Amino acid sequence: MGALMVIFSVQPKQRRKTTDSVEDELELSTVRHRPEGLEQLEAQTRFSRKELQILYRGFKNECPSGVVNEETFKVIYAQFFPQGDASTYAHFLFNAFDTDHNGSVSFEDFVMGLSILLRGSIQEKLNWAFNLYDINKDGYITKEEMLDIMKAIYDMMGKCTYPALREEAPQQHVEVFFQKMDKNKDGVVTIDEFIDCCQNDENIMRSMHLFENVL
Amino acid sequence: MAAGVAAWLPFARAAAIGWMPVASTPMPIPPQEKKKGKDGLIILNVSGTKFQTWRTTLERYPDTLLGSTERDFFFHEETNEYFFDRDPDIFRHILNFYRTGKLHYPRQECISAYDEELAFFGIIPEIIGDCCYEEYKDRRRENAERLQDDEEMDMSNDVTPVNLTPREFLWRAFENPHTSTLALVFYYVTGFFIAISVMANVVETVPCGMLPSRAKELSCGDRYALAFFCLDTACVMIFTVEYLLRLIAAPSRYKFMKSVMSVIDVVAIMPYYIGLVMTDNDQVSGAFVTLRVFRVFRIFKFSRHSAGLRILGYTLKSCASELGFLLFSLTMAIIIFATVMFYAEKGSTASKFTSIPAAFWYTIVTMTTLGYGDMVPKTIVGKVFGSICSLSGVLVIALPVPVIVSNFSRIYHQSQRSEKRRAQRKSRLARIRAAKIRGTNVYMRYKQNGQINSLEEASKEAGKALVAKARSPPFESQHNHLLHCLEKTTNHEFVDEQTFQANCMEISVMNKTGSCASSLSSSPHGLSSCCSRRHRKKSSFSLPSTNNQELSTIQIRERPVANSRSSLNAKLDGTLKCDKPYITPSMVSLSAPVVTTSDGHGSTTTTAYSQSNIVRVSAL
Repeated sequence: MGALMVIFSVQPKQRRKTTDSVEDELELSTVRHRPEGLEQLEAQTRFSRKELQILYRGFKNECPSGVVNEETFKVIYAQFFPQGDASTYAHFLFNAFDTDHNGSVSFEDFVMGLSILLRGSIQEKLNWAFNLYDINKDGYITKEEMLDIMKAIYDMMGKCTYPALREEAPQQHVEVFFQKMDKNKDGVVTIDEFIDCCQNDENIMRSMHLFENVL
Repeated sequence: MAAGVAAWLPFARAAAIGWMPVASTPMPIPPQEKKKGKDGLIILNVSGTKFQTWRTTLERYPDTLLGSTERDFFFHEETNEYFFDRDPDIFRHILNFYRTGKLHYPRQECISAYDEELAFFGIIPEIIGDCCYEEYKDRRRENAERLQDDEEMDMSNDVTPVNLTPREFLWRAFENPHTSTLALVFYYVTGFFIAISVMANVVETVPCGMLPSRAKELSCGDRYALAFFCLDTACVMIFTVEYLLRLIAAPSRYKFMKSVMSVIDVVAIMPYYIGLVMTDNDQVSGAFVTLRVFRVFRIFKFSRHSAGLRILGYTLKSCASELGFLLFSLTMAIIIFATVMFYAEKGSTASKFTSIPAAFWYTIVTMTTLGYGDMVPKTIVGKVFGSICSLSGVLVIALPVPVIVSNFSRIYHQSQRSEKRRAQRKSRLARIRAAKIRGTNVYMRYKQNGQINSLEEASKEAGKALVAKARSPPFESQHNHLLHCLEKTTNHEFVDEQTFQANCMEISVMNKTGSCASSLSSSPHGLSSCCSRRHRKKSSFSLPSTNNQELSTIQIRERPVANSRSSLNAKLDGTLKCDKPYITPSMVSLSAPVVTTSDGHGSTTTTAYSQSNIVRVSAL
């Protein structure tokens, strides 16, 4: 008798689970997105027609529904960094690309972001980087935000590094960064301080041009 | 590696701009982009079926036929296409692999045809995606077993191979009785004697008629005691001989002795020997009688002769939890009803329900609908509850039985499948790890080659050195450059697992030797990882001339000003030279290129290097 009661109590839970997943499936399948026309994108970004074609083909291959949600984004980005855990940095990247903050990156967002990164002026690139570091988008980079970003970058390295990663490495790196960037020592870095400082640093300037001919 | 998402590599590289402002060291030079060969369409004509794809899609996997220059052998000038005289249905899957990065196995295809196509196109089957990998492995194993069966059948028809040692021959004869006539004879003889022995055990308890001098009837065993004893002796001798022969012939004696069949054998013959030893001792003869019960275990020896019995035993074993649960729920019901019946019948006179345990018997007999009638309730309440008991008994017993029967078949198949999956899971995890290690090894090799090449670049013209670099495929070199950028950003390097473990080993060795640094071990940072202590030891080792006091003062001085670059530079210029010769011998595999590049570049790298030293020393 006890066995019967247990059996009957187990059944309804399973049924409930299946109905939930059916609804979830419906939701996912209705999210489809078609990008604006090629001419419009050509006008809005600095990519040529051919480049947009190549970009879209790659994009659609990985995300047939036309939008990337955060999970897919993390999975894709993690494939480039097999040794470490790229999910935190991918999260920040996702927020940087998802400019209208609707939880998904469409092809337009994707290509706008890439246009700034690959074809933009130094000012725009630095602006984009500042936007990436400023997690809550309030116009100031605090030490906590920078520490989060730094930890995310160090997480991508994984465990097996030389010299071995210690827990204060991100913290120290943040200190160095603030030392350099925070001119008025008020504990936050504003966009002007950031851009000024980067423009005066020739290493950073040189590295900004690194990926110009990536596409 | 990440070739499946090769299309997203430009994105990942562009996103690397996010690291630039925080990078501690300058970035490496990106690989030169080859003359962007027109990304044209390639036509692949496979036995008449035309497939088309982009050139870059095929070049994602340069170590396969289609991705390398090997495909030029199949180029057909007249029609300006690549012609392959192979199966187009299977080729579809191979081309999909290039497109999506995942290789699937179609279930309706023959496994050997598929394997041949994969081998032709230079694709290793291990990269089959997880969705199809299980099926692929299953079919492959079936195929292999089929081939093996064919071979065995051929073998058994041939003359038995003479190169078996007598021991192996004996074992083979025992395990497969069909291999030789002697083995077959032995097999039947033992079977016959098992049957005889069991029948003798049964018959010797049958009453055999009365002797005129005795009052009660004798059992056959007592009447013909000598005959039965001789029969028993003969059977036990045969079983003992068989057991000893098996023990001698077993390839692994310890494993054989642990096996179930050997335990059954021992239990079958033990009572006889124990009986021989203590026949005349009346005190233990009671125990001796119980020991004879174990003789019935000889019937289990039949399981060597019957596969069905073995399967039954196995399924019972695997169904044990379900049976246990059934037993538990039955026990609950029995206790409930026994209690109820006891208290219901407590009032009636001359009730058989003397206690709750006594009522257990009634409950069991009623619930299994046996109804012996030796215990019946007399009160009305008792009868009411008794009928409820028998009705619920029908439900409780009858309902789980089909569940258990279906459980048998389900669990049997499932245990087979789960064992398979468990074995495959280990190999799947091993595959994933191997892929990761492959990826990092590629990167390590790139670094060593790349460092050497970049040095050459500095000294020779750029053009020459580039020739050496162009050998690696563009996707890979770009990916490696991306990983290199990450290294430069964080000022740490990727190492492979073995080196990392070796480094950690070093610490534990040096922990024992370096007592001078133990006073520094109580650092406020409270480091727990083993490799952090390595750095502590390293820097202590690097100043062998300084005594403990100097060492501690240096460290103490440096701690509060850990963040001021300029002051540390002044101090560490002294330690820099001492560090380098120490580092080189301990990590021969990686450090040589590292050290040379830091020499080769300008002052910025020295500060970077000393920065990395900052990271190490100030941990104290």
